[in-house]
Amino acid sequence: MTQKYIWLNLGGLIALLGLLGLFYWQSTGARAVPAMTDALKDPDSKVRVAAAQMLAEIGPAAKPAVPGLLNQALHDPNQYAGTTAAGALQKIDLAAARQVMAASLPALHDADVQARRNACAMMGSLGPVAKPAVPALVAALDDTSETVRMVAVGALGEIGIPATLVIPALVKALRDPAQTVRHRAVSQFAFSIPPSDAVVPHLKQLLEDKDRSVASLAKSALNSPHRQAKDRTAAYVTMLQMGNANDYTLRQLAQFGPEAAGTVPAVIPVLKHERPLNRYLAAEVLGAIGPGAREAVPALTAALQDEDAIVRESTAEALRAIGTTDAPPVTAAPK
Amino acid sequence: MDTGKKLTRLTVTLYWGCIVFGLTLPGIVMIVHDAYRRHGGFVEAWQDFRLHLFAPGYNLFLIGALNALPFVLLAIFILFHLGTATAKEPVIVSRRLAGVAGALAVAVGLSTWAHLATTLHPDAQGALVYFFLPVYLLGLIPLGYGCRRLIGTIATRTPAAKG
Repeated sequence: MTQKYIWLNLGGLIALLGLLGLFYWQSTGARAVPAMTDALKDPDSKVRVAAAQMLAEIGPAAKPAVPGLLNQALHDPNQYAGTTAAGALQKIDLAAARQVMAASLPALHDADVQARRNACAMMGSLGPVAKPAVPALVAALDDTSETVRMVAVGALGEIGIPATLVIPALVKALRDPAQTVRHRAVSQFAFSIPPSDAVVPHLKQLLEDKDRSVASLAKSALNSPHRQAKDRTAAYVTMLQMGNANDYTLRQLAQFGPEAAGTVPAVIPVLKHERPLNRYLAAEVLGAIGPGAREAVPALTAALQDEDAIVRESTAEALRAIGTTDAPPVTAAPK
Repeated sequence: MDTGKKLTRLTVTLYWGCIVFGLTLPGIVMIVHDAYRRHGGFVEAWQDFRLHLFAPGYNLFLIGALNALPFVLLAIFILFHLGTATAKEPVIVSRRLAGVAGALAVAVGLSTWAHLATTLHPDAQGALVYFFLPVYLLGLIPLGYGCRRLIGTIATRTPAAKG
């Protein structure tokens, strides 16, 4: 085999790797948005779901896909495809996510159980952006249908804020006569919402629940080694300082409320994060901390000029919660 | 066809075969598994595979790329190792071929077993194998080469052989 032939084959390999790299580059990031937008129209619901998930991963750069995602969230006959699209919208365009919330709210009072259940699921998929829907979801905990109550509990857990409304509602659900509802409620405290000292007595009561899985989850929630806010905030501050701000971390901090005051310096830079959801949640964290977040006032005042109306609205609310007079009235975002 | 041409053809076949196998093995395992276990059709399994090539939580393209890494390195080694061997020295060629066969057996065997096991018995931590497999392969391929070459050397030992 000649040297020339060896190098020719090696060149072929380099060309192949180059082509694969080009294929990867073309298929990911903002470049994939047109193809994914087309995929939202695919007759196969699996394709529509995958396309929405990929668009969510791309984030704000997928803004051209918002009309398609809105259409899927509001009109897709497949419920999972609809909620996946709604979940993508909260990562791409908060105002569009609020549009979905506003359009789905009336269905919470629909006569049809399935419609009420789907509306609850839709709110949950929108995550913390559906905060204005929390009072309606709290009311749904009195629904006659066990399924609706169960899905409403899940939605409240996924929205997670404001903790002052969500946590008492979940505590109420811990006493629901239906096992499925209690199970869903205790799961929230076991896996996503840190149970505060006020929640502990209610969880202890569940240790004697006649359903063993509920009792077991209550035990898990109570035994969490990092149940206390002070134990968790240190880890979250490290994550934020390393630039690893994510919606889960920020939502947890918002749930801690004033106990998360020590995180204010780490949260302030997130007000300038590229993702509107993170900026929104940063404002929510500071608002939940309240007067203890006074050092964030200059950054919040600057954030009143944010390009996203929902972030501006949340920022103004945060300034009011901190107790400053610097919060001007802002144009109401769609609710 | 003379021995030199045969060796060249074998080298090129092993080189490209190794690369293609490394790149496509995870996909082939997934498609065949999907077709037989879940859907019953190769077309649908192929469409599912394409759909999840870059999908979050799946990233099948990345899995293929990770799996291909040790195979590409092995292919380059094969290209230079067998490509620079001359058919005029059959003892050396046979020893090198034996070593390459050992390396290929380890790479193909371990990789196929790992992908089959992960696909047939899915598990939350199972996906970790996709990250560790290339590392293990990079360590075990030279071992496979060494063992098989040693056997080849012993088998072809003659007073004239110096390779």
